[in-house]
Amino acid sequence: MTTRQLPADTSLRTRLGRMTWKGERIEWSAYFYVLPFFVPFVIFTIAAIIFGGYVSFTEWRIIGDPLWVGFANYVRAFNDDFVPKVWGNTFQLAAIVVPGTTILALLFALYVNQRLRGFTASRLAFYAPRVVSVTVVGLVWVWMLDTRFGVVNQYLHRAGIPYIPWLTNPDWVLWAVGITTIWWDLGFHMVILLAALQDIPSELKDAASIDGASALQQFWHVVMPLLRPAISLVITLEIISAFRIFSQIFVMTQGGPAGASFSIIFYIYERGFMNTELGYSSALSLMLFLTILVVTLIQLRIIRERA
Amino acid sequence: MVARLKLVMGVQGRLTVGRVLLWIIGLWLAYMWILPFVWMVSTSFKLPGEVMTQTIEWIPRTWTLDNYRVVFEKPIVRWLWNSMVVTTAITMASIMLGAAAGYALARMNFPGRNVFFMMLLLSLMIPTEMTIVPRFIAFLKLRATDSYAALILPPIAEVFSVYLFRQFFLSLPRELEEAAAMDGASRFRIFLVIALPLARATVIAAAVLLFTTNWNAFLWPLLITFSEEMKTLPIGMAAFAPVTMNRTQIESYAPGMAAMTILGVPSLIVFLFLQRYFMEGVISTGIKG
Repeated sequence: MTTRQLPADTSLRTRLGRMTWKGERIEWSAYFYVLPFFVPFVIFTIAAIIFGGYVSFTEWRIIGDPLWVGFANYVRAFNDDFVPKVWGNTFQLAAIVVPGTTILALLFALYVNQRLRGFTASRLAFYAPRVVSVTVVGLVWVWMLDTRFGVVNQYLHRAGIPYIPWLTNPDWVLWAVGITTIWWDLGFHMVILLAALQDIPSELKDAASIDGASALQQFWHVVMPLLRPAISLVITLEIISAFRIFSQIFVMTQGGPAGASFSIIFYIYERGFMNTELGYSSALSLMLFLTILVVTLIQLRIIRERA
Repeated sequence: MVARLKLVMGVQGRLTVGRVLLWIIGLWLAYMWILPFVWMVSTSFKLPGEVMTQTIEWIPRTWTLDNYRVVFEKPIVRWLWNSMVVTTAITMASIMLGAAAGYALARMNFPGRNVFFMMLLLSLMIPTEMTIVPRFIAFLKLRATDSYAALILPPIAEVFSVYLFRQFFLSLPRELEEAAAMDGASRFRIFLVIALPLARATVIAAAVLLFTTNWNAFLWPLLITFSEEMKTLPIGMAAFAPVTMNRTQIESYAPGMAAMTILGVPSLIVFLFLQRYFMEGVISTGIKG
Protein backbone atom coordinates (compact mmCIF):
# COMPACT_ATOMS: atom_id res chain seq x y z
CA MET A 1 0.00 0.00 0.00
CA THR A 2 2.73 2.39 0.93
CA THR A 3 4.49 1.90 -2.37
CA ARG A 4 1.27 2.80 -4.16
CA GLN A 5 0.67 6.01 -2.23
CA LEU A 6 4.16 7.32 -2.60
CA PRO A 7 4.02 8.35 -6.26
CA ALA A 8 0.62 10.02 -5.77
CA ASP A 9 2.01 11.91 -2.78
CA THR A 10 5.05 13.16 -4.67
CA SER A 11 2.93 14.19 -7.58
CA LEU A 12 0.74 16.30 -5.28
CA ARG A 13 3.84 17.84 -3.79
CA THR A 14 5.37 18.59 -7.16
CA ARG A 15 2.05 19.91 -8.42
CA LEU A 16 1.83 22.24 -5.41
CA GLY A 17 5.45 23.15 -5.93
CA ARG A 18 4.79 24.09 -9.56
CA MET A 19 1.72 26.19 -8.87
CA THR A 20 2.12 29.88 -9.61
CA TRP A 21 0.48 33.05 -8.40
CA LYS A 22 0.85 36.22 -10.44
CA GLY A 23 3.41 34.52 -12.64
CA GLU A 24 5.67 33.40 -9.82
CA ARG A 25 6.05 30.14 -7.98
CA ILE A 26 3.99 30.03 -4.77
CA GLU A 27 5.91 29.59 -1.54
CA TRP A 28 3.43 27.69 0.55
CA SER A 29 5.59 27.96 3.64
CA ALA A 30 4.72 31.69 3.70
CA TYR A 31 1.56 30.82 5.62
CA PHE A 32 3.70 29.54 8.51
CA TYR A 33 5.19 33.02 8.72
CA VAL A 34 1.96 34.92 8.28
CA LEU A 35 -0.62 32.94 10.23
CA PRO A 36 0.90 33.23 13.73
CA PHE A 37 0.30 36.95 13.36
CA PHE A 38 -2.92 36.92 11.38
CA VAL A 39 -4.84 34.45 13.54
CA PRO A 40 -4.71 36.64 16.68
CA PHE A 41 -5.05 39.74 14.47
CA VAL A 42 -8.23 38.46 12.88
CA ILE A 43 -9.65 37.34 16.24
CA PHE A 44 -8.81 40.39 18.33
CA THR A 45 -9.17 43.11 15.71
CA ILE A 46 -11.18 42.14 12.62
CA ALA A 47 -13.67 39.82 14.28
CA ALA A 48 -13.88 42.12 17.28
CA ILE A 49 -14.84 45.08 15.09
CA ILE A 50 -17.52 43.06 13.27
CA PHE A 51 -18.85 41.68 16.56
CA GLY A 52 -18.83 45.23 17.96
CA GLY A 53 -20.99 46.30 15.04
CA TYR A 54 -23.47 43.56 15.94
CA VAL A 55 -23.44 44.50 19.64
CA SER A 56 -24.34 48.08 18.71
CA PHE A 57 -27.70 46.79 17.44
CA THR A 58 -28.50 45.00 20.67
CA GLU A 59 -29.26 45.72 24.24
CA TRP A 60 -26.73 43.85 26.32
CA ARG A 61 -26.23 44.29 30.04
CA ILE A 62 -23.29 41.88 30.39
CA ILE A 63 -25.38 39.38 32.36
CA GLY A 64 -27.85 37.54 30.17
CA ASP A 65 -28.21 37.39 26.40
CA PRO A 66 -28.13 40.18 23.87
CA LEU A 67 -31.50 41.47 22.73
CA TRP A 68 -31.79 42.66 19.11
CA VAL A 69 -33.10 46.23 19.15
CA GLY A 70 -32.31 47.42 15.63
CA PHE A 71 -31.34 51.07 15.42
CA ALA A 72 -32.63 51.89 18.91
CA ASN A 73 -29.15 52.64 20.28
CA TYR A 74 -28.45 55.06 17.45
CA VAL A 75 -31.84 56.73 17.83
CA ARG A 76 -31.11 57.05 21.51
CA ALA A 77 -27.73 58.62 20.78
CA PHE A 78 -29.36 61.30 18.62
CA ASN A 79 -31.80 62.14 21.40
CA ASP A 80 -29.24 61.94 24.19
CA ASP A 81 -28.53 65.49 25.43
CA PHE A 82 -25.15 64.39 26.65
CA VAL A 83 -23.95 63.25 23.21
CA PRO A 84 -23.60 66.74 21.69
CA LYS A 85 -21.97 67.89 24.91
CA VAL A 86 -19.43 65.08 24.87
CA TRP A 87 -18.71 65.52 21.17
CA GLY A 88 -18.41 69.28 21.75
CA ASN A 89 -15.96 68.76 24.60
CA THR A 90 -13.83 66.50 22.42
CA PHE A 91 -13.81 68.95 19.50
CA GLN A 92 -12.86 71.73 21.93
CA LEU A 93 -10.03 69.61 23.28
CA ALA A 94 -8.83 68.90 19.75
CA ALA A 95 -9.02 72.63 18.99
CA ILE A 96 -6.65 73.25 21.92
CA VAL A 97 -4.33 70.28 21.53
CA VAL A 98 -3.86 70.00 17.75
CA PRO A 99 -2.78 73.59 16.95
CA GLY A 100 -0.98 73.90 20.29
CA THR A 101 1.11 70.80 19.77
CA THR A 102 1.78 71.42 16.07
CA ILE A 103 2.97 75.01 16.49
CA LEU A 104 5.03 74.35 19.61
CA ALA A 105 6.52 71.13 18.21
CA LEU A 106 7.53 73.00 15.05
CA LEU A 107 9.12 75.86 17.00
CA PHE A 108 10.93 73.43 19.31
CA ALA A 109 12.15 71.38 16.34
CA LEU A 110 13.44 74.52 14.60
CA TYR A 111 15.33 75.48 17.76
CA VAL A 112 16.83 72.01 18.29
CA ASN A 113 17.78 71.85 14.62
CA GLN A 114 20.00 74.94 15.06
CA ARG A 115 22.35 72.71 17.08
CA LEU A 116 23.24 75.42 19.57
CA ARG A 117 25.09 74.18 22.63
CA GLY A 118 22.83 72.13 24.88
CA PHE A 119 20.49 71.09 22.06
CA THR A 120 20.79 67.37 22.86
CA ALA A 121 19.83 68.04 26.48
CA SER A 122 16.89 70.15 25.29
CA ARG A 123 15.71 67.43 22.92
CA LEU A 124 15.91 64.98 25.81
CA ALA A 125 13.89 67.30 28.04
CA PHE A 126 11.17 67.87 25.43
CA TYR A 127 10.79 64.15 24.78
CA ALA A 128 10.95 63.02 28.43
CA PRO A 129 7.22 63.34 29.33
CA ARG A 130 6.39 60.96 26.52
CA VAL A 131 8.17 58.02 28.16
CA VAL A 132 6.35 58.05 31.51
CA SER A 133 2.96 56.54 32.18
CA VAL A 134 -0.09 58.72 31.69
CA THR A 135 -0.82 58.16 35.37
CA VAL A 136 2.32 60.10 36.19
CA VAL A 137 1.53 62.80 33.64
CA GLY A 138 -2.02 63.27 34.93
CA LEU A 139 -1.24 63.22 38.61
CA VAL A 140 1.75 65.53 38.39
CA TRP A 141 -0.37 68.05 36.49
CA VAL A 142 -3.24 67.84 38.95
CA TRP A 143 -0.73 69.00 41.52
CA MET A 144 0.93 71.52 39.17
CA LEU A 145 -2.50 73.04 38.42
CA ASP A 146 -3.79 73.13 42.01
CA THR A 147 -5.75 76.37 42.31
CA ARG A 148 -4.07 77.82 45.36
CA PHE A 149 -0.80 75.93 45.84
CA GLY A 150 0.08 74.63 42.36
CA VAL A 151 3.28 75.79 40.72
CA VAL A 152 1.50 77.19 37.64
CA ASN A 153 -0.82 79.46 39.58
CA GLN A 154 1.94 80.54 41.93
CA TYR A 155 3.99 81.70 38.94
CA LEU A 156 0.99 83.35 37.32
CA HIS A 157 0.12 85.02 40.61
CA ARG A 158 3.61 86.45 40.81
CA ALA A 159 2.98 87.95 37.37
CA GLY A 160 -0.20 89.55 38.72
CA ILE A 161 -2.70 87.07 37.29
CA PRO A 162 -5.43 85.90 39.70
CA TYR A 163 -5.61 82.22 40.70
CA ILE A 164 -7.19 80.17 37.90
CA PRO A 165 -9.50 77.31 39.03
CA TRP A 166 -8.05 74.95 36.41
CA LEU A 167 -9.63 71.70 37.53
CA THR A 168 -12.62 72.89 39.51
CA ASN A 169 -14.25 75.26 37.01
CA PRO A 170 -16.13 73.92 33.94
CA ASP A 171 -14.76 76.77 31.79
CA TRP A 172 -11.15 75.95 32.55
CA VAL A 173 -11.00 72.19 32.89
CA LEU A 174 -10.56 71.46 29.17
CA TRP A 175 -7.63 73.88 29.13
CA ALA A 176 -6.10 71.98 32.04
CA VAL A 177 -6.44 68.65 30.21
CA GLY A 178 -5.25 70.28 26.99
CA ILE A 179 -2.10 71.77 28.53
CA THR A 180 -1.29 68.44 30.13
CA THR A 181 -1.75 66.64 26.81
CA ILE A 182 0.47 69.11 24.95
CA TRP A 183 3.21 68.66 27.55
CA TRP A 184 2.93 64.90 27.21
CA ASP A 185 2.68 64.58 23.41
CA LEU A 186 4.88 67.36 22.10
CA GLY A 187 8.20 65.48 22.12
CA PHE A 188 6.94 62.73 19.84
CA HIS A 189 5.79 65.14 17.15
CA MET A 190 8.89 67.29 17.57
CA VAL A 191 11.10 64.29 16.74
CA ILE A 192 9.11 63.58 13.55
CA LEU A 193 9.44 67.21 12.44
CA LEU A 194 13.10 67.27 13.41
CA ALA A 195 13.82 64.27 11.19
CA ALA A 196 12.04 65.99 8.32
CA LEU A 197 14.05 69.18 8.92
CA GLN A 198 17.30 67.24 8.83
CA ASP A 199 16.32 65.74 5.46
CA ILE A 200 16.24 69.19 3.87
CA PRO A 201 19.48 69.60 1.93
CA SER A 202 21.42 72.58 3.23
CA GLU A 203 22.39 73.55 -0.34
CA LEU A 204 18.81 74.68 -0.88
CA LYS A 205 18.96 77.10 2.03
CA ASP A 206 22.44 78.24 1.01
CA ALA A 207 21.19 78.96 -2.49
CA ALA A 208 18.28 80.95 -1.09
CA SER A 209 20.51 82.97 1.20
CA ILE A 210 22.92 83.77 -1.65
CA ASP A 211 19.89 85.07 -3.55
CA GLY A 212 19.44 87.44 -0.62
CA ALA A 213 16.54 85.75 1.18
CA SER A 214 16.16 86.66 4.85
CA ALA A 215 15.93 83.93 7.48
CA LEU A 216 12.16 84.36 7.60
CA GLN A 217 11.80 84.24 3.80
CA GLN A 218 14.03 81.18 3.71
CA PHE A 219 11.83 79.49 6.27
CA TRP A 220 8.58 80.37 4.55
CA HIS A 221 9.57 79.71 0.94
CA VAL A 222 12.16 76.94 1.23
CA VAL A 223 11.71 75.07 4.51
CA MET A 224 7.92 75.14 4.93
CA PRO A 225 6.99 73.61 1.54
CA LEU A 226 9.41 70.76 2.14
CA LEU A 227 8.03 70.22 5.65
CA ARG A 228 4.43 70.01 4.49
CA PRO A 229 4.23 66.18 4.31
CA ALA A 230 5.67 65.85 7.83
CA ILE A 231 3.36 68.54 9.21
CA SER A 232 0.40 66.86 7.54
CA LEU A 233 1.38 63.56 9.16
CA VAL A 234 1.79 65.18 12.57
CA ILE A 235 -1.62 66.87 12.33
CA THR A 236 -3.32 63.61 11.29
CA LEU A 237 -1.75 61.71 14.19
CA GLU A 238 -2.70 64.48 16.61
CA ILE A 239 -6.31 64.61 15.47
CA ILE A 240 -6.64 60.85 15.90
CA SER A 241 -5.07 60.93 19.36
CA ALA A 242 -7.08 64.00 20.43
CA PHE A 243 -10.32 62.19 19.63
CA ARG A 244 -9.12 59.24 21.68
CA ILE A 245 -8.28 61.18 24.86
CA PHE A 246 -9.26 59.10 27.85
CA SER A 247 -6.54 58.32 30.37
CA GLN A 248 -5.72 61.93 31.22
CA ILE A 249 -9.38 62.51 32.01
CA PHE A 250 -9.66 59.32 34.01
CA VAL A 251 -6.71 60.30 36.18
CA MET A 252 -7.27 64.07 36.39
CA THR A 253 -11.01 64.77 36.49
CA GLN A 254 -13.16 61.64 36.00
CA GLY A 255 -15.15 63.80 33.59
CA GLY A 256 -15.89 66.51 36.14
CA PRO A 257 -16.69 69.13 37.21
CA ALA A 258 -20.35 68.72 36.20
CA GLY A 259 -19.46 66.65 33.11
CA ALA A 260 -17.44 69.51 31.64
CA SER A 261 -14.49 67.28 30.77
CA PHE A 262 -16.32 64.19 29.54
CA SER A 263 -14.57 63.13 26.33
CA ILE A 264 -16.18 60.76 23.83
CA ILE A 265 -14.16 57.76 25.00
CA PHE A 266 -14.77 58.62 28.64
CA TYR A 267 -18.51 58.59 27.90
CA ILE A 268 -18.16 55.25 26.06
CA TYR A 269 -16.33 53.91 29.11
CA GLU A 270 -18.85 55.33 31.55
CA ARG A 271 -21.88 53.95 29.64
CA GLY A 272 -20.36 50.57 28.83
CA PHE A 273 -18.44 49.73 31.94
CA MET A 274 -19.89 51.76 34.79
CA ASN A 275 -23.52 51.31 33.66
CA THR A 276 -23.08 48.01 31.77
CA GLU A 277 -24.85 49.32 28.67
CA LEU A 278 -22.63 47.49 26.21
CA GLY A 279 -24.94 47.94 23.22
CA TYR A 280 -25.19 51.70 23.59
CA SER A 281 -21.48 51.92 24.28
CA SER A 282 -20.72 50.04 21.04
CA ALA A 283 -22.99 52.31 19.05
CA LEU A 284 -21.16 55.34 20.46
CA SER A 285 -17.77 53.89 19.52
CA LEU A 286 -18.93 53.30 15.95
CA MET A 287 -20.03 56.94 15.84
CA LEU A 288 -16.62 57.96 17.16
CA PHE A 289 -14.93 56.00 14.38
CA LEU A 290 -17.05 57.73 11.73
CA THR A 291 -16.27 61.10 13.31
CA ILE A 292 -12.52 60.45 13.21
CA LEU A 293 -12.77 59.24 9.62
CA VAL A 294 -14.67 62.34 8.45
CA VAL A 295 -12.43 64.80 10.31
CA THR A 296 -9.26 63.13 9.01
CA LEU A 297 -10.54 63.13 5.42
CA ILE A 298 -11.51 66.81 5.63
CA GLN A 299 -8.13 67.68 7.10
CA LEU A 300 -6.23 65.77 4.40
CA ARG A 301 -8.28 67.48 1.71
CA ILE A 302 -7.57 70.94 3.15
CA ILE A 303 -3.85 70.28 3.34
CA ARG A 304 -3.75 68.83 -0.17
CA GLU A 305 -5.60 71.81 -1.62
CA ARG A 306 -3.14 74.20 -0.02
CA ALA A 307 -0.22 72.29 -1.49
CA MET B 1 33.68 88.68 23.48
CA VAL B 2 31.66 87.63 20.41
CA ALA B 3 34.17 84.86 19.73
CA ARG B 4 33.81 83.60 23.32
CA LEU B 5 30.01 83.64 23.07
CA LYS B 6 30.14 81.79 19.75
CA LEU B 7 32.32 79.14 21.38
CA VAL B 8 29.96 78.79 24.34
CA MET B 9 26.91 78.53 22.09
CA GLY B 10 28.62 76.16 19.67
CA VAL B 11 27.84 78.45 16.72
CA GLN B 12 29.69 78.38 13.46
CA GLY B 13 29.17 81.26 11.07
CA ARG B 14 27.39 84.52 11.81
CA LEU B 15 26.28 85.39 15.31
CA THR B 16 23.06 87.37 15.37
CA VAL B 17 21.01 88.78 18.24
CA GLY B 18 18.24 86.45 17.10
CA ARG B 19 20.42 83.40 17.58
CA VAL B 20 21.51 84.45 21.06
CA LEU B 21 17.87 84.98 22.00
CA LEU B 22 16.91 81.62 20.50
CA TRP B 23 19.66 79.93 22.47
CA ILE B 24 18.58 81.44 25.77
CA ILE B 25 14.84 80.89 25.21
CA GLY B 26 15.41 77.33 24.02
CA LEU B 27 17.41 76.35 27.07
CA TRP B 28 14.90 78.09 29.35
CA LEU B 29 12.01 76.17 27.74
CA ALA B 30 13.85 72.86 28.11
CA TYR B 31 14.36 73.69 31.78
CA MET B 32 10.66 74.58 32.19
CA TRP B 33 9.68 71.37 30.44
CA ILE B 34 11.25 69.16 33.10
CA LEU B 35 10.18 71.30 36.08
CA PRO B 36 7.05 69.16 36.66
CA PHE B 37 9.34 66.17 37.24
CA VAL B 38 11.50 68.17 39.66
CA TRP B 39 8.34 69.27 41.48
CA MET B 40 7.12 65.66 41.63
CA VAL B 41 10.36 64.37 43.19
CA SER B 42 10.65 67.33 45.54
CA THR B 43 7.05 66.93 46.80
CA SER B 44 7.55 63.22 47.36
CA PHE B 45 10.14 63.92 50.07
CA LYS B 46 8.08 66.55 51.89
CA LEU B 47 6.02 66.08 55.03
CA PRO B 48 2.32 66.16 54.02
CA GLY B 49 1.89 69.22 56.25
CA GLU B 50 4.64 71.08 54.42
CA VAL B 51 3.42 70.42 50.89
CA MET B 52 1.12 73.41 50.59
CA THR B 53 3.22 76.49 51.02
CA GLN B 54 2.60 80.18 50.37
CA THR B 55 5.53 80.35 47.97
CA ILE B 56 7.09 77.58 45.90
CA GLU B 57 9.67 75.62 47.87
CA TRP B 58 11.78 73.43 45.63
CA ILE B 59 13.80 71.94 48.50
CA PRO B 60 11.82 70.14 51.23
CA ARG B 61 12.03 71.85 54.64
CA THR B 62 12.10 68.47 56.33
CA TRP B 63 13.16 65.42 54.35
CA THR B 64 11.02 62.36 54.93
CA LEU B 65 10.49 58.87 53.52
CA ASP B 66 7.04 58.56 55.11
CA ASN B 67 5.29 59.05 51.77
CA TYR B 68 7.17 56.12 50.30
CA ARG B 69 6.14 54.03 53.29
CA VAL B 70 2.48 54.86 52.51
CA VAL B 71 2.98 53.80 48.89
CA PHE B 72 4.48 50.47 49.92
CA GLU B 73 1.33 49.68 51.93
CA LYS B 74 -0.16 48.91 48.50
CA PRO B 75 0.95 45.71 46.71
CA ILE B 76 3.20 47.65 44.37
CA VAL B 77 5.82 44.91 44.12
CA ARG B 78 3.11 42.63 42.78
CA TRP B 79 1.96 45.35 40.34
CA LEU B 80 5.54 45.83 39.21
CA TRP B 81 5.87 42.09 38.63
CA ASN B 82 2.61 42.03 36.64
CA SER B 83 3.78 44.92 34.49
CA MET B 84 7.12 43.23 33.86
CA VAL B 85 5.58 39.87 32.90
CA VAL B 86 2.84 41.35 30.72
CA THR B 87 4.99 43.92 28.95
CA THR B 88 7.88 41.53 28.29
CA ALA B 89 5.56 38.85 26.93
CA ILE B 90 3.71 41.27 24.63
CA THR B 91 6.93 42.85 23.35
CA MET B 92 8.62 39.55 22.58
CA ALA B 93 5.53 38.03 20.97
CA SER B 94 4.83 41.14 18.88
CA ILE B 95 8.37 41.20 17.57
CA MET B 96 8.45 37.51 16.68
CA LEU B 97 5.03 37.55 14.99
CA GLY B 98 5.76 40.89 13.35
CA ALA B 99 9.17 39.90 12.00
CA ALA B 100 7.89 36.63 10.51
CA ALA B 101 4.76 38.17 8.94
CA GLY B 102 6.68 41.23 7.77
CA TYR B 103 9.30 39.04 6.13
CA ALA B 104 6.71 36.92 4.31
CA LEU B 105 4.85 40.02 3.10
CA ALA B 106 8.08 41.54 1.81
CA ARG B 107 9.73 38.51 0.25
CA MET B 108 7.44 35.58 -0.38
CA ASN B 109 4.85 35.01 -3.08
CA PHE B 110 1.55 33.50 -1.97
CA PRO B 111 -2.17 33.92 -2.68
CA GLY B 112 -3.74 36.38 -0.25
CA ARG B 113 -0.65 38.49 0.27
CA ASN B 114 -2.31 41.66 -0.95
CA VAL B 115 -5.48 40.94 0.99
CA PHE B 116 -3.45 40.52 4.17
CA PHE B 117 -1.64 43.76 3.56
CA MET B 118 -4.83 45.70 2.80
CA MET B 119 -6.33 44.39 6.06
CA LEU B 120 -3.32 45.76 7.92
CA LEU B 121 -3.58 49.17 6.31
CA LEU B 122 -7.31 49.42 6.95
CA SER B 123 -6.97 48.43 10.59
CA LEU B 124 -4.50 51.28 11.11
CA MET B 125 -7.41 53.66 10.54
CA ILE B 126 -9.61 52.09 13.17
CA PRO B 127 -9.15 53.27 16.76
CA THR B 128 -8.44 50.38 19.14
CA GLU B 129 -11.18 51.73 21.40
CA MET B 130 -13.72 50.27 18.98
CA THR B 131 -12.55 46.80 19.88
CA ILE B 132 -12.69 47.11 23.67
CA VAL B 133 -16.35 46.25 24.20
CA PRO B 134 -16.27 43.09 22.02
CA ARG B 135 -12.93 42.01 23.48
CA PHE B 136 -14.29 42.55 26.96
CA ILE B 137 -17.39 40.47 26.23
CA ALA B 138 -15.26 37.68 24.72
CA PHE B 139 -13.04 37.40 27.79
CA LEU B 140 -16.05 37.64 30.06
CA LYS B 141 -17.80 34.76 28.25
CA LEU B 142 -14.61 32.68 28.41
CA ARG B 143 -14.39 33.47 32.14
CA ALA B 144 -10.85 34.68 31.46
CA THR B 145 -11.03 38.27 32.72
CA ASP B 146 -8.59 39.39 35.40
CA SER B 147 -5.87 37.09 34.08
CA TYR B 148 -2.49 37.32 32.38
CA ALA B 149 -4.02 35.82 29.23
CA ALA B 150 -6.50 38.69 29.03
CA LEU B 151 -3.76 41.26 29.57
CA ILE B 152 -1.28 39.72 27.12
CA LEU B 153 -3.23 38.19 24.20
CA PRO B 154 -5.18 41.09 22.63
CA PRO B 155 -2.21 43.45 22.17
CA ILE B 156 0.24 40.88 20.70
CA ALA B 157 -1.03 41.20 17.12
CA GLU B 158 0.52 44.64 16.76
CA VAL B 159 0.08 45.88 13.20
CA PHE B 160 2.78 48.48 13.54
CA SER B 161 5.38 45.78 14.20
CA VAL B 162 4.55 43.93 10.95
CA TYR B 163 4.59 47.20 9.07
CA LEU B 164 8.01 48.16 10.42
CA PHE B 165 9.56 44.81 9.54
CA ARG B 166 7.96 44.70 6.10
CA GLN B 167 9.40 48.14 5.33
CA PHE B 168 12.82 47.05 6.52
CA PHE B 169 12.94 43.79 4.55
CA LEU B 170 11.73 45.59 1.41
CA SER B 171 14.67 47.98 1.73
CA LEU B 172 17.14 45.11 2.13
CA PRO B 173 18.95 44.06 -1.09
CA ARG B 174 17.93 40.57 -2.23
CA GLU B 175 21.40 39.49 -3.37
CA LEU B 176 22.56 38.04 -0.05
CA GLU B 177 19.47 35.89 0.32
CA GLU B 178 19.60 34.77 -3.31
CA ALA B 179 23.22 33.70 -2.90
CA ALA B 180 22.27 31.63 0.14
CA ALA B 181 19.37 30.07 -1.78
CA MET B 182 21.82 29.07 -4.55
CA ASP B 183 23.89 27.33 -1.91
CA GLY B 184 20.82 25.31 -1.04
CA ALA B 185 19.80 27.03 2.20
CA SER B 186 16.11 26.62 3.06
CA ARG B 187 13.80 29.65 3.28
CA PHE B 188 13.60 29.30 7.06
CA ARG B 189 17.40 29.22 7.37
CA ILE B 190 17.72 32.28 5.17
CA PHE B 191 15.18 34.14 7.31
CA LEU B 192 16.72 33.12 10.61
CA VAL B 193 20.43 33.27 9.82
CA ILE B 194 20.69 36.01 7.18
CA ALA B 195 17.67 38.35 7.13
CA LEU B 196 16.81 38.57 10.82
CA PRO B 197 20.32 39.42 12.10
CA LEU B 198 20.43 42.26 9.57
CA ALA B 199 17.21 43.60 11.07
CA ARG B 200 18.85 44.19 14.46
CA ALA B 201 18.23 47.94 14.42
CA THR B 202 14.57 47.42 13.53
CA VAL B 203 14.20 44.86 16.30
CA ILE B 204 15.61 47.31 18.84
CA ALA B 205 13.50 50.23 17.59
CA ALA B 206 10.36 48.08 17.65
CA ALA B 207 11.22 46.65 21.07
CA VAL B 208 11.71 50.07 22.64
CA LEU B 209 8.46 51.43 21.21
CA LEU B 210 6.42 48.32 22.01
CA PHE B 211 7.81 48.14 25.53
CA THR B 212 7.02 51.77 26.37
CA THR B 213 3.57 51.65 24.76
CA ASN B 214 2.58 48.50 26.61
CA TRP B 215 4.28 49.46 29.87
CA ASN B 216 2.15 52.61 29.85
CA ALA B 217 -1.02 50.95 28.50
CA PHE B 218 -4.04 52.22 30.39
CA LEU B 219 -7.53 51.59 29.03
CA TRP B 220 -7.45 47.83 28.43
CA PRO B 221 -5.68 46.85 31.69
CA LEU B 222 -8.08 49.16 33.55
CA LEU B 223 -11.13 47.37 32.13
CA ILE B 224 -9.95 43.79 32.31
CA THR B 225 -8.44 43.68 35.81
CA PHE B 226 -10.69 43.67 38.85
CA SER B 227 -8.61 42.36 41.71
CA GLU B 228 -5.79 44.26 43.35
CA GLU B 229 -3.25 41.53 42.64
CA MET B 230 -3.84 41.47 38.87
CA LYS B 231 -3.41 45.21 38.31
CA THR B 232 -0.49 46.59 36.35
CA LEU B 233 1.60 49.38 37.82
CA PRO B 234 -0.03 52.36 36.02
CA ILE B 235 -3.52 51.12 36.93
CA GLY B 236 -2.68 50.35 40.55
CA MET B 237 -0.90 53.67 41.00
CA ALA B 238 -3.89 55.57 39.59
CA ALA B 239 -5.53 54.93 42.96
CA PHE B 240 -3.38 57.78 44.26
CA ALA B 241 -5.19 60.29 42.04
CA PRO B 242 -6.92 62.88 44.25
CA VAL B 243 -10.02 62.64 42.09
CA THR B 244 -10.53 58.99 42.97
CA MET B 245 -9.92 59.70 46.64
CA ASN B 246 -12.80 62.16 46.91
CA ARG B 247 -10.49 65.14 46.83
CA THR B 248 -8.77 64.90 50.18
CA GLN B 249 -5.93 66.61 48.44
CA ILE B 250 -4.01 67.82 51.44
CA GLU B 251 -3.36 64.25 52.48
CA SER B 252 -2.93 62.79 49.02
CA TYR B 253 -0.46 65.00 47.18
CA ALA B 254 2.69 63.92 49.03
CA PRO B 255 2.14 60.13 48.89
CA GLY B 256 0.77 60.56 45.37
CA MET B 257 3.98 62.18 44.23
CA ALA B 258 6.00 59.45 45.95
CA ALA B 259 4.00 56.87 43.98
CA MET B 260 4.55 58.81 40.76
CA THR B 261 8.28 59.04 41.45
CA ILE B 262 8.44 55.26 41.83
CA LEU B 263 6.42 54.85 38.64
CA GLY B 264 8.05 57.53 36.51
CA VAL B 265 11.71 57.78 37.42
CA PRO B 266 12.74 54.28 36.25
CA SER B 267 11.21 55.01 32.82
CA LEU B 268 13.12 58.30 32.68
CA ILE B 269 16.40 56.59 33.57
CA VAL B 270 15.93 53.90 30.91
CA PHE B 271 15.11 56.65 28.43
CA LEU B 272 18.30 58.51 29.36
CA PHE B 273 20.41 55.48 28.48
CA LEU B 274 18.50 54.35 25.39
CA GLN B 275 17.43 57.76 24.02
CA ARG B 276 18.94 57.11 20.59
CA TYR B 277 16.68 54.10 20.08
CA PHE B 278 13.60 55.99 21.25
CA MET B 279 14.17 58.74 18.70
CA GLU B 280 14.99 56.27 15.91
CA GLY B 281 11.84 54.34 16.67
CA VAL B 282 9.69 57.45 16.35
CA ILE B 283 11.38 58.42 13.10
CA SER B 284 10.95 54.98 11.58
CA THR B 285 7.21 55.02 12.35
CA GLY B 286 6.73 58.57 11.25
CA ILE B 287 8.76 59.36 8.20
CA LYS B 288 9.28 56.07 6.51
CA GLY B 289 5.84 54.82 7.51
